[in-house]
Amino acid sequence: MGMNERVQLQQGDLWRDVRPGEVILEARGITKRFPGVVANDHIDFEIRAGEIHAILGENGAGKTTLMNILFGLLQPDEGEIYLRGRRVQFRSPLDAIQMGIGMVHQHRKLIPAHTVIENILLGHPQAGSVLNLKQAEEKVAALAERYGFKVDLRARVWQLSEGEKQAVEILKALYRGARILILDEPTSALTPPETERLLEAVQAMAQDELGIVPFITHKLPIVLAISDRVTVLRQGRVVARMATREATEQLLAQKMVGREVLFRLQKPDVTPGEPVIQVENLAARNDKGHLALDGVSFTIREGEILGIAGVSGNGQHELAEVLAGLRPVEQGRILFAGQDITHLPILDRWRLGIGYIPAERIDVGSIGDFSLIENVLMNYYFDEGFVRQGIIDYDKAYRLTERLIVEYNVATPSPRVKARYLSGGNLQKLILARVLSRKPRLIIANLPTQALDVGATEFVRNKLLAAKAQGAAILLISEDLDEIMSLSDWIAPIYEGRLMGMLPAAEAKKETVGAMMAGLQQEAYAS
Amino acid sequence: MGQFIARSLEAATIFTFAGLGELINQRSGILNVGIEGIMLFGATLGFIVTKTTESYLLGFLAALVVGALLGLLHGFFSITLGVDQVVSGMGVWILGFGLTTYIGSPYTGPLGLERIDTIFGVSPFFYMAVILVLLTWFVLFKTNVGLKVRSVGENPSVAEVSGIRVTRIRYACTTIGGMLAGFAGAVYALFYNPVWNYNFLMGWGFIALALVFFSMWNPLLLSGGALLFGLLWQLSLNPELFLPGIFSRYIWRMVPFAITIVVLVLISTKWFRLRWGAAKPEALGQPYYKD
Ligand SMILES: Nc1ncnc2c1ncn2[C@@H]1O[C@H](COP(=O)(O)OP(=O)(O)OP(=O)(O)O)[C@@H](O)[C@H]1O
Ligand SMILES: [Mg+2]
Repeated sequence: MGMNERVQLQQGDLWRDVRPGEVILEARGITKRFPGVVANDHIDFEIRAGEIHAILGENGAGKTTLMNILFGLLQPDEGEIYLRGRRVQFRSPLDAIQMGIGMVHQHRKLIPAHTVIENILLGHPQAGSVLNLKQAEEKVAALAERYGFKVDLRARVWQLSEGEKQAVEILKALYRGARILILDEPTSALTPPETERLLEAVQAMAQDELGIVPFITHKLPIVLAISDRVTVLRQGRVVARMATREATEQLLAQKMVGREVLFRLQKPDVTPGEPVIQVENLAARNDKGHLALDGVSFTIREGEILGIAGVSGNGQHELAEVLAGLRPVEQGRILFAGQDITHLPILDRWRLGIGYIPAERIDVGSIGDFSLIENVLMNYYFDEGFVRQGIIDYDKAYRLTERLIVEYNVATPSPRVKARYLSGGNLQKLILARVLSRKPRLIIANLPTQALDVGATEFVRNKLLAAKAQGAAILLISEDLDEIMSLSDWIAPIYEGRLMGMLPAAEAKKETVGAMMAGLQQEAYAS
Repeated sequence: MGQFIARSLEAATIFTFAGLGELINQRSGILNVGIEGIMLFGATLGFIVTKTTESYLLGFLAALVVGALLGLLHGFFSITLGVDQVVSGMGVWILGFGLTTYIGSPYTGPLGLERIDTIFGVSPFFYMAVILVLLTWFVLFKTNVGLKVRSVGENPSVAEVSGIRVTRIRYACTTIGGMLAGFAGAVYALFYNPVWNYNFLMGWGFIALALVFFSMWNPLLLSGGALLFGLLWQLSLNPELFLPGIFSRYIWRMVPFAITIVVLVLISTKWFRLRWGAAKPEALGQPYYKD
């Protein structure tokens, strides 16, 4: 116990008499170089008590790197960190945690097989040699209550939704006594209602004099709504800092990207052609064995985009997987250009011209320990041009990868780096690039712009529209209603595995779609 | 028949010691397929030390020490050097097999000491094993250290960001695992069958390894499995006892492995995972590098 008491004392001293608005953390000249990139280039930055400080930046601007440095996961090559005026050095996350810094990572850091309370207690100095679960549960429940999180503390983490998992991570940090809470892209995996709940909690926490740093790239309205101060990074450097009330969406976007962002899409005028995909009365089960899709029917023609709007967990992911051939069909038929592909193996679907952009870019979309070239090859290895007598033409693959990296603006020092070293958004761009570059006749795009910054989002949306202009049929799955409304020709809200109707986008109202997503049938429009 | 049961129990305790050691190892994410080698070492050195000093205590101590050292060695290869754990474990086995044959052969023959007393007709190691099973279960599932061990075996990088020293925990587990394997070997050579000859262990280490998978990494199930495997082994020594003529000894010896395969198939089914979650430590066998 001796050691733990000392830590508590240090913390107690450190965080005594914090005044609202006081600078509690200051980083000076933080620099971090990776082979081929300067991820952080002399960054100066401060966090004040009770303030929500947003850090903005394009994909690969260096946000996560800066986070990791503040949390002791990475050591800066240069620069100093001061906590309440005192110089500190974090050799490991443990040091940072003990000094009152908590972090919620961009990618979840929880152990799925363990219970919520076990995850929260993991590494806690006061966990006791024999775990005192009762006492811990009471305290955590009180914290949860105070900030409005609802989680079953005895549940196992693999049973939780994304929003609940994130709540667990926040509770874990708070329970360890975090006074500065770093949230890396906290909203990117959340559904809109979950996002709303998170933002309320974040505001409540800030009122308790916690310094909070959410890192939000692509949702500028959120930054404007909740933050007090904004720092904008570009290519590892601070390019702007300002009080949020002085900022506008246009200004921030422009600072981030370094050019004007139009927020406007060149929606092409395409006359729909032949049906590409016809789905008839489709049913399928989810991983838990429940019926996730029930009686789903639709047709997408050449040059058409069908937007599936819905809150996550209503069957849209199963729909994407069924079409991609990853999930067996329980009932119903899928026709591709008139051919029955209901039970066709995956590879044959790719060959027919189906392209799949999965929602899980790390688990399904890429192999972290493979190079970018090999990851691109995953959509090309079966092509005549890339394999001759079973031998892969790596030179050709290299050239292709290089071209895609340039065309899609993937920030990386070389095509040979491992995929797991790409920042979240850049990995997403790479996956999009390798799918779209095959010019598929049907594109299944599941959350195509998740984790992308404004510039990249605009770029990807335009890419999808360009594919449409060339006659591709697109199934677009998104939780972002604006995205659905601005890209689609037809909108089909999905609720509990059923399509609630088929609305022509030109006439659809946001309120109507929202209501249908919540389960209200719109008989008038149903086709 | 009473004799038969008592011998089965004795075999079961040895499987339990070795199996618990391996279970602790694997819970921390380190696979040690070389426990047979560590058991051979523990058994042979324990045997030699006891035979020359006529002290059981020194023999068991020697077994614990050499077990710990070999556990550390396997830890060094698989944790610090990040060598493939199967390869490193195989190395430990081959080393154990070769070296103990060389060191032990001059001592071929019986121990020649009075057998350790039983308590109420049962081997004292049986009581020890029962206590150890309960203790391991308690530590793994009810204490802070146990939580850390399980977390490191599930996902070392998550453990790291929670402030856990992954390397330290893994080393502790491989060392303890080695000690228990060495001790199990010594119980075999100093109590169960106190005679040294070539390849006396006949694959017990591998049975203990299978036992861990059979147990789905749970100490309580492991002790049940150990009883079953002990019984099966004893049957293989006396095939005339049960269904003579149908089951030869070699078939009996194979049964533990066959059962384990069935269990492994079962826990990898989708049905099992959906109902119970993954039983296997997620990070088992994967080297962990900080970056
Ligand atoms: N471990 C690493 N090794 C090599 N390069 C790295 C490593 N980690 C990050 N990088 C590179 O550093 C740069 C900054 O990455 P970082 O993850 O900080 O970006 P980000 O701002 O968080 O982007 P995103 O919004 O996409 O998450 C990127 O070019 C990335 O490829
Ligand atoms: Mg990031």
